[in-house]
Amino acid sequence: MNWVIVVWTGATSASLILAAIHLFVWIRNRKAWASLMFCLMAACTAGMAGCELAMMRVTDVDQLGAILQWYNLSRWAVTLALIGFIHFYLGSGRPWLELTVIGLRTLALLLNLLVSPNAFYSSIDGLNRIIFFGQAVTVVEGIPNPLILVGQVSLLVLAAYLVDTTWRAYSAGAYNRALRVGSSSVFFVLALSLQTMLVLWGVVEAPIMTSLFFLGIVGVMAFELSEDMLRSRRLAENLQQREADLLRERKLTDAVFQGAPGLLFLQSQEGIIRRWNKRPANPSEFIDTKIHDFFRKEDHSALSESLEKTFSEGSANFELDLVHSDGSATRHFFSTVQIEIGDKPHLIGIGIDVSDEHALGLELALQKEKLARVSQIASMSELSSSLAHEINQPLAIILSNAEAAQRQLDLPVPNQNELREILKDIVAADIRAADVIRRLRSILQRGQPVLKPVAPSSLLNNVLRLLKTDLDTSGALVSKKIPKRLPNLLADQIPVEQVLINLIKNALEAMHENGTRGKSLILSCAAEGSGVRFSVRDNGCGLPESGDWIFEAFHTTKPSGLGLGLKISQTIIQAHGGRLWAEANKGRGTSFHFHLPLRPETT
Amino acid sequence: MNESPSVILIDDENDLLKALRRLLKAEGFQVACHTSAADFLAAARPPSPGCIVLDESMPGMTGLDLQRELVAEGSTLAIVFLTARGDIPMSVRAMKAGAVDFLTKPVKDKDLISSIRTGLKKSSELELNKKEVDELRQRLETLTDREREVLRFVTQGLPNKKIASLLGLVEQTIKVHRSRVMTKMRAESLAQLVVVAERLGITNQES
Repeated sequence: MNWVIVVWTGATSASLILAAIHLFVWIRNRKAWASLMFCLMAACTAGMAGCELAMMRVTDVDQLGAILQWYNLSRWAVTLALIGFIHFYLGSGRPWLELTVIGLRTLALLLNLLVSPNAFYSSIDGLNRIIFFGQAVTVVEGIPNPLILVGQVSLLVLAAYLVDTTWRAYSAGAYNRALRVGSSSVFFVLALSLQTMLVLWGVVEAPIMTSLFFLGIVGVMAFELSEDMLRSRRLAENLQQREADLLRERKLTDAVFQGAPGLLFLQSQEGIIRRWNKRPANPSEFIDTKIHDFFRKEDHSALSESLEKTFSEGSANFELDLVHSDGSATRHFFSTVQIEIGDKPHLIGIGIDVSDEHALGLELALQKEKLARVSQIASMSELSSSLAHEINQPLAIILSNAEAAQRQLDLPVPNQNELREILKDIVAADIRAADVIRRLRSILQRGQPVLKPVAPSSLLNNVLRLLKTDLDTSGALVSKKIPKRLPNLLADQIPVEQVLINLIKNALEAMHENGTRGKSLILSCAAEGSGVRFSVRDNGCGLPESGDWIFEAFHTTKPSGLGLGLKISQTIIQAHGGRLWAEANKGRGTSFHFHLPLRPETT
Repeated sequence: MNESPSVILIDDENDLLKALRRLLKAEGFQVACHTSAADFLAAARPPSPGCIVLDESMPGMTGLDLQRELVAEGSTLAIVFLTARGDIPMSVRAMKAGAVDFLTKPVKDKDLISSIRTGLKKSSELELNKKEVDELRQRLETLTDREREVLRFVTQGLPNKKIASLLGLVEQTIKVHRSRVMTKMRAESLAQLVVVAERLGITNQES
């Protein structure tokens, strides 16, 4: 078996197979120009291999000349195809270099056709049979034509072009392609150029075997191309996978949207609805529908505010009436969150029908109001009874004093000083009674609290004046802590004073058994939050263990009293939007506090 | 030294105390004022007969509490309640515990004064009764144990023979004890002795 025939025919058929494969690739995808160029290159390589095999077996010089012509044509074509491949594959060649190589190559081809016998040899002396690696092959014996240099120069320029293109591709980031394709082409081009020169100048006695070098290039490139095809296959698979995933997610989202029990909608920042699980009857209306269209005009500002809050703070909750296509409306509770879709802020919102709860809430509010009215009536009766008691005291004082005065006047010599004292006391008691009546009237007349600006200090001072006798009798040491600058409150003065009176009286009673410890009553007020806090602190017997129920109606620790005092006080403070609470002191006694807002939120 | 009858005012309302004192002084009473029950208890006891005009609803010890305390210590002072906010259960309790009257503020001078006078009369009766009982008790102290036993049986209506058999003595000895008891207790008849024993609360003491 002649291995030369095996190698060269093998090279030919391998090249042809590769050419056929990539021709097929190109037919399938007409834009794969690199594949077409590769196909050409492989086909020409096959042609070259065929010519070389023929030259090795030629016996006649004329025959050799004809083969050489074909051979040169193949070399020309393979060079062009290589440039084309590099051009399309690496995509970074300089066009002028490409044109230069093509020009030189074409010139070499033309020279080959024009000069006789060809551009390789100026004269052919004869054909020699030599033994090449144990096989007899034909080599040409002749004088090399200097014009061969044109071809060689064109190969060098080609090498330069390849180096340049490879470098540019490498710099552009296509490291692997550039290294494999570029460096192998450069290597094989230089190698075949060297081999050709050595053979032609007779330095080495061997046949021309350019096709094998090109076959190397073709092999590397085929490897590259199939790598690319594998890679794109993988990419395509990934893409398919991604699409399938997306589809699944999309289906899931759809299921969520359609299956959501309440409302679910997606809208842009401009308020355009993108998705909405309860679509309007006519889908075309849905295009560019604004969320606002589903709400009443008077709710629009509240809606906008909540939506803006969602975009600025990330989420919002609100309750509004949702208007249906038939014009009816149901109360919905909405919860919205902001999400980014395609880098643009969107809003996803859910809405739950809370009309039942809302109705229940209204019912509850009604019940509460009724209860409040009942307790108000109870409070009123308790208040009136306590005020009746209070009015009896001054009346008793007046009566007894007047009767004492009558007795004085019955005396032969009435004591003028005594009479004067008596009258003074009658006047004082009368004023006190009038004050009680004024309070009584203000309580009985009340529907809503009568709010007027009032200075916290004047509240405390009034109460201290009203309770002067009680305080004097009790012997308690009273201290007052009122800051200089306090804002005025918007409050109903008399009930609030009544609360202070109740608290102070409670404190005095709590301190009644203090004995040698002495009684200390501290009244203070201070600005706190957006309001004023009043405190009544005693050092008395303190609260019972669990102090919560002291605010319950009809609870009392006192033998006389209905146990409504604190309840009423709490009602009054709550009517002002304030809070009344008690706490045990660190040492002895109790502090009662109430906080009144600067202006109560009246409805 | 001053023998004018004494009234004690107890009320937490200072101005009312002042007015009532004026009124009652003009009426010729001797008046003492206290602003709380505790204040009154801390002070020296006024001489009897006397009448307390007592407010019911006061911080600390209430009027009813004070009444209970005074009854417990065997005081002979009468009590007239004067309250601004009295109800029926409260007044019933007060009257049952021996109050003379239960008045509400504002009170007319006539009503108050007549109640006080009633109270003073009651107080002096109580005082008298107390004196007598005290004397009887002193007499009782002079009896020997045996004589006291005989007194108890006699006032229960037992005949001498029965008493003798109960005590393991002869009838003659009982007769001697009995006549000594009559002498010591200064009783002129069996009927008188029974009354004395009742006032001293002896009859019911079953051994």
